[in-house]
Amino acid sequence: MLKPYSRGLIIENMAAKAKKKKISKSKSLQAAEIQAAIDYGIDVSMLIDNINRSCTERIIRHQIALNTAEKLRKARRL
Amino acid sequence: MSSDFLNLLERLVNAGVDFVVIGGFAGVVHGCTYVTQDIDICCDFSPATLLALQRAISDLRPVHRMTPKRKKLKLTEQTCGQFKNLYLDTDIGQLDCLSFIDGLGDYSQVKRESELIEVEEMKVRVLSLNALIKSKKSMNRLRDKEAVLQLEAIKKLRKPEQDIR
Repeated sequence: MLKPYSRGLIIENMAAKAKKKKISKSKSLQAAEIQAAIDYGIDVSMLIDNINRSCTERIIRHQIALNTAEKLRKARRL
Repeated sequence: MSSDFLNLLERLVNAGVDFVVIGGFAGVVHGCTYVTQDIDICCDFSPATLLALQRAISDLRPVHRMTPKRKKLKLTEQTCGQFKNLYLDTDIGQLDCLSFIDGLGDYSQVKRESELIEVEEMKVRVLSLNALIKSKKSMNRLRDKEAVLQLEAIKKLRKPEQDIR
C-alpha cells in the first residue's frame, strides 16, 4: 500500500508526463505544415525573411521581381 | 509600360472604391514568395462602385482582357448590372475584379474576413490569411497547391505579434 504522499507524487509525475507528451505532440503537429512546405521544395527561409518584413517591403520587393521578370521576358536574344 | 500594383491600389483608394485585395497578391502581402502578374480584388458591383473604379483607371487605357478584341472598358450606369466579374488589362497591370469568391461569398462576407493594412500611408483591405487559405482550398486548383502550402507554413511560422503589419 502506497503512502498518501507517494501516491500524490506518482499522480504529479503522471500529470507532468502527460503534459510533456501533449506539448511534444502539438509541436510535431505544428511542424507538419512547415515540413510539408519543405518536402514540396519551398524555401522556408525565404518565407521567414518575408514574414519579418513589413507589408510595404513585401509589395515593393514583389514589384521589383515582377518588373525584372517582365524585362527578361521582353529581352531579345543577341 | 511596366506594371505598378501600388499605383493601381492607390488609384482605387483615392477614387473611394471599397474593395478587398484577394488572390495571389493577397498571398504576397502575407509573405508568399511567388510572383503574380495580376492583382485581384473583390468589390461591390454596384454601379457607383464600378463607375468609380472606371474613373480611377480611365487614363490607363483599360480593356476587357478576356474578350477576343480586348474591348475598351466603357461602363455606364445601365451596363454595370451585366457584370459579375471584370477581367481588365491596363497600362500598369492586370486588374481582376470579382463580386464573389468561392468558399467565402459576396463582397460583404469577404470584407468581414479581411484585415486593414497600411501601405505607404494608404489603408487597404486584404483578405485574412485564414480566409485566403479557405478560398484557395475550396477552388481546389492544381496551380494553387504551392500557394496553399506557403500560406499554411506562414500561418505556423508567424508569431502572434507578426499578424499582418
